[in-house]
Formats: sequence, C-alpha cells, structure tokens
Amino acid sequence: MIRLQLFGLATAAVLLVCSGAAHATGDKANGRTLVYTCNGCHGVPGTDNAYPQYPVPKIAGQNEQYLINALHGYKSGDRTHPTMVAQAQSLSDQEIQDIAAYLSGIASK
Amino acid sequence: MKRALTLLSFGMALALVAAPLLAAGNPANGKTKAAACFACHGADGNAVDPQYPRLAGQYYGYIQQVLHEYKDGRRSNPIMKGFTATLSDQDIEDIASYYSSLPTKLDTLQGHVQGD
Repeated sequence: MIRLQLFGLATAAVLLVCSGAAHATGDKANGRTLVYTCNGCHGVPGTDNAYPQYPVPKIAGQNEQYLINALHGYKSGDRTHPTMVAQAQSLSDQEIQDIAAYLSGIASK
Repeated sequence: MKRALTLLSFGMALALVAAPLLAAGNPANGKTKAAACFACHGADGNAVDPQYPRLAGQYYGYIQQVLHEYKDGRRSNPIMKGFTATLSDQDIEDIASYYSSLPTKLDTLQGHVQGD
C-alpha cells in the first residue's frame, strides 16, 4: 500500500517536472543582451525598410508567442525578408524564446 | 505656349501618380471594415491571446505592407490570406489607419537595449 502511494507520488513529481520544462520561459536578461543587434533597424523611430519602402515595425511590447512564431517563420523561410531570415537563422530556439520574453515584457510608457 | 501646355500636362500627370501615395485611410471607415479582425486582434488592437500580434499604434505603413503581403501570398498564412483576399487597396488603407491610430502598448527599441 505504501509502495503504491510512493509510486503515485513519484509519478506526480515526474509529471510536475515535465510540465515545468514544457512551459520553460525565455531568459529576459539574455534577451536584453541579444536585442542589441535588432536596435539598428527597430530602435530608431520611423526607420524605413528600403525596396519596398515601409516603416520597420515596433516590436517592443509585442505579444510573446507572436514574436516566437514570427522569428521561427523567418528562420524556416516561411517569411522571406532577407535581413530577418539571416538574423533568425543565427538564433537558437532558446535565444528566440529569450528575445520574445524580453520584448513582450517591456512596459509601455 | 506649346511648352507651357507640355509642362502643365506633365505636372498633372505627376499629381495623378502622386495622389494615391499621399491619400490617407479613413479610420472611421476602417473601424467598420475591421470588425472581422476583432475576434483575434481585439477591438482596441491589443490581442489578448499572445499568439496574435498587437496592432494598436503599429505604423500605418507597416500594417498596409503586411496586409498586402498576406493578400498576395508573399507572407504565407492561411487565416490572414482568407481575410485579406477580399480587401481593396482602400480597405487596407482604412483598416491600417484605424489600428495605427489607437492608443499603443508598442514601442521601438530605443532605450530598451543593453547600455541604454
């Protein structure tokens, strides 16, 4: 009986650890370091993309999962912007999570 | 006289070409046309579900660009392709005008990078 209870407890513990890993969030501090590269285009208000010409989007305060999906889209080639494809391909999945965690956590003025 | 006419017609042609580029969307019409967007992107442009982007206060020109990319398939997304398929250029300008005019939680990276 006690053995059965112990087994249940162990199973619950394993499940808890696994679900924790599944919900692993990005490291905001590392994200803050990584976005230094993004600053050249996304850091200057009103910067325009060239050919075609349109404003580079505001990304601070954007939603987390959207940022993750967008960066993976560039990394896989589903999104085709050449500069962003090159940037995203240099990032690991963890780094993408870190960047998304940092950017989505920036409070608006 | 002939030269004046030539210059005048040249000027008129330029004005005609430039007009659509300068025309701004109508945010009130945009709000009506954006009704289908509200379920995911919110009426206030701040999507609650974090898989969808916030649109409130995003650049007018960027929202237009992206809607055109979804419409012509340069950016592939089955849901957005469906929604943008029936939008005219004027609809896109109006919707972009509406969302870009809303109070924003978005910002550029200015002041948010290491060392700032």
